[in-house]
Amino acid sequence: MKHIEKDIVVIGGGPAGLAAALEARRQGAEKVLLIERDTEMGGILQQCIHDGFGLHRFEARLSGGQYAQRFIDELEKTDIEVKLDTIVLQVTDNKVVYACNPKDGMMEIQAGAVILAMGCRERTASQVFIYGTRPAGVLTAGAVQRYINMEGYIPGKKAVILGSGDIGLIMARRMTLEGIEVKGVYEVMPSPGGLTRNIVQCLDDYGIPLHLSTTVVRTYGKQRLEGITVAKVDENRKPIPGTEEYIDCDLLVLAVGLIPENELSKQAGVEMDPKTKGPVVDNTFMTSIPGVFACGNVSVVFDLVDYVSQSGEIAARGAVNYLKHGMEKAPEYTPVQTGSNVNFVVPQRLQKGMPAGEVTFFMRVAKPQKKAELQCSCGDQLVKKTRYQVVAPPEMLACTVELKDGDQPRFSVVEV
Amino acid sequence: MIDEVRKLLAEKFAGQNVSATADERGIVTLSGECTDWKTLVRVGQAVAKVPGVRNVVSDMTAKGVTIPHKDYTPFVKAGMEKGVLDKVNVVIIGAGISGCGIARELSRYNLSVTVVEMGDDVASGATKANNGDIHAGHAVQPGTLKARLNVEGNRMYTKWAEELGFELQRCGALYAIVEPEMMKALGMVLKIARANHVPGARIVNAKEALRLEPKLAAEEERLGKKIIAGLWLPSMGVVEPYQVAVALAENAAKNGVKFLLDCTVGQVLHENGQVKGVVTEKGIIYADYVINCAGVYADEISEMAGDRCFTIHPRKGTIAILDKSTPPMYSALAGVATIARVMGTKKDPESKGGGMCRTPEWNPLLGPSATEVPDKEDNTTTPEDMEYAMSRNMDPNAGWGDVIRLFAGVRPADFKEDFVIGMSDITHGFINVGAIQSPGLASAPAIAQMAVEILLDDRAMGGNPAEAKTDFDPIEPRHVEFRHMTQQQRDELIAKDPRYGRIICRCEQITEGEILDAVHSGIVPTSIDAIKRRTRAGMGRCQGGFCQPRVLELLARELGRDWVGITLKGRGSNLLVADNREEVAK
Repeated sequence: MKHIEKDIVVIGGGPAGLAAALEARRQGAEKVLLIERDTEMGGILQQCIHDGFGLHRFEARLSGGQYAQRFIDELEKTDIEVKLDTIVLQVTDNKVVYACNPKDGMMEIQAGAVILAMGCRERTASQVFIYGTRPAGVLTAGAVQRYINMEGYIPGKKAVILGSGDIGLIMARRMTLEGIEVKGVYEVMPSPGGLTRNIVQCLDDYGIPLHLSTTVVRTYGKQRLEGITVAKVDENRKPIPGTEEYIDCDLLVLAVGLIPENELSKQAGVEMDPKTKGPVVDNTFMTSIPGVFACGNVSVVFDLVDYVSQSGEIAARGAVNYLKHGMEKAPEYTPVQTGSNVNFVVPQRLQKGMPAGEVTFFMRVAKPQKKAELQCSCGDQLVKKTRYQVVAPPEMLACTVELKDGDQPRFSVVEV
Repeated sequence: MIDEVRKLLAEKFAGQNVSATADERGIVTLSGECTDWKTLVRVGQAVAKVPGVRNVVSDMTAKGVTIPHKDYTPFVKAGMEKGVLDKVNVVIIGAGISGCGIARELSRYNLSVTVVEMGDDVASGATKANNGDIHAGHAVQPGTLKARLNVEGNRMYTKWAEELGFELQRCGALYAIVEPEMMKALGMVLKIARANHVPGARIVNAKEALRLEPKLAAEEERLGKKIIAGLWLPSMGVVEPYQVAVALAENAAKNGVKFLLDCTVGQVLHENGQVKGVVTEKGIIYADYVINCAGVYADEISEMAGDRCFTIHPRKGTIAILDKSTPPMYSALAGVATIARVMGTKKDPESKGGGMCRTPEWNPLLGPSATEVPDKEDNTTTPEDMEYAMSRNMDPNAGWGDVIRLFAGVRPADFKEDFVIGMSDITHGFINVGAIQSPGLASAPAIAQMAVEILLDDRAMGGNPAEAKTDFDPIEPRHVEFRHMTQQQRDELIAKDPRYGRIICRCEQITEGEILDAVHSGIVPTSIDAIKRRTRAGMGRCQGGFCQPRVLELLARELGRDWVGITLKGRGSNLLVADNREEVAK
């Protein structure tokens, strides 16, 4: 078995990992290793051939591939070591990473700091409790996207999409362009799950109906999907008897949510947040294990790739700082508090003794609200407020605040 | 006897318009219409219990229920057109656990054997959809064929596992009690276990129960009651049922048995009371013996052989499989039986549903449920079945969010609720191995032995004893399982073959090498689900979301097929419909 020593090991070569590796090198980390399980870097961005990436960061409408390529091009100018086709099997709490690939075999990598950037995975049909048969033709949106965009195959002719998150909406347009008849998008919640711009550009422009408070309850067809039943749901998201409607289709696309992929993190013993389903992180995106950082969709499912990259950079700066100054024992923390209509805030806590400066917080609201104001207060003092025409759970709010050691920020969204 | 049956029908089922006839063998045929499907099943079961009734054939219908009937004519037509395919000593119909077990036992002898299976893979019916429990034999009525074969089969599993390289974990079963009133019930189960000669069955005290399963202490705390005793059944085991069937089939194939998959039997040929062979969709196969292991269709196959002697009433079971990240509470199949829990479970007197158990890979399993259904292929899941499965959950840390897969299978139950194993007394050479429901998996080695003995005895009596092969190889080496290796072992493996260094299924850590091993094995898996059963690729928490396209790519590459031709689970389940827009437009 190969024994390797690295200053920083980044696990995952998607947008979070790419940004983290680059920033770590920029900040002076010398031996940076980026591990990617695919044979190419870019993660899920590789299959995102639609545009809209990088509006914040590059002020340009890039495709997923183009967005990733900007980072890959940068990376290739550096001496960052990249191991492709390599999977991490285990991360220990003393920052030993076990990985393997066909060329190197097993590797035992002692890292000074580890940055977890494995991304997320999709929820499946069993997890949203669709009953009936288990035929071919029930696929997650990501799998459909891969089949169509990467492999060049068509997985069905008449499709129904469950879930109006961005991925579902993007796939509605994508499938339509490929000649697949998209019969409708169904959403269990009373409000759409995706960004407004995607509803307009992906559904409205193509005349694809969106049915809110409606879900798929049953599948038909033993071998290949032949149809589904949808039903209206009550306020508890339970199907209302008598509202069932049969729809003839051979493809059910599930865009029913993403789950941060944290099997490695849990194995290492990192403390998890049941709300974000990611590790509890501090202002440096460090987890409960000193020297182990998390970023991107591992820490929380973001809506925009720009934020994913940003979180990677924050984690990288934290990791470099950790390497420079060391940390004899786990730091003490000040909690970040959530007020009215704020479902969660990441980072969840601040290191005591942190230097005064800017800290960026990412959060989602619990319910849609018009004429909203995001307020950040420390004690009695209102330190920042931002107005929004409308806020909704799908659109993440990012808020950068000037803080000093001991501040206890509290975030609320109120109507004004 | 028929008078007793009629009396029973008149007294107990007066509201049902059912009439009965009997033949000289004691086979009772019931016809008429019942008020509902459940009652139809009850009528059949009650009649089967009348002394002197060997079994029950049902022509009954139920109000408002359509019983689907399989149309065999296209298969017969296709087979007749193709003509004679082969002439062998033995045809086995069905490649479930029974068919594969019998095939492997028969492969010890100088006999030509062909297994025909309607599915695209072995173990594609009830075998793949059960919880893998190798029951100890404490839950079957003493004196039945089931009871004998269950205990015998359980014992024989040790050798099977050693020879065939599948995982068998003798985890034991422990039923603890916290109320003195339950002592009597525990004693009754022990009495049945002893009557059935279940090895090692005994009552243990609280101290020993807690020593066997220390985590029962948490259950004591939750219930606020102390464990007072438990029933310990050390012979209880768990396996992955499809893994057993695949190992048996591969070993049988290695020893000369032919397997024809995607091959439905449409007709059993027989003449003057002697079986002659079968007509399959791939052609006619002449044979001296036909062994019927056709699962839910075994009654129809028997009828084709001119021997209508039992009817299968399908009983659906639904199982929820939970993520490994919430590991099972116990190593054994353990739990506390309280009065409330026992009373709270609505019991089918003929087949209780299952509870909470685990797989050898340490996924918790909940269920199966037990629901009578008219359709033999009704393996649909329902919210009610899910409720049942989740009601079996005793782990406060596990819940609906941990379910990674809900699936259902259909048990081939007859009205006698016992196995039907024997040479037909109407068509010589036709051997029924039917109604193999729970504990069919646990009984499989003993079922195989019994069926083979029937065949061998018959040949010997006919003056033509089968010879044992001198070159029979009982050993099936265990496949590589990267996930269970140490880092050092993994390193050595990858050095030998780099394809084991590429993970295809990240949830279960299944390598490309393991998938290729499966594709190039004795029984070639050609679908995504067949690969899943061989390797576990796609069996984890993402359910193939990431690895399905990659498995598909490997299958297409290795089998030399087009991507569009690869199926999820056999004929008609193609995952992709076209490779370009123009195709879609058609």
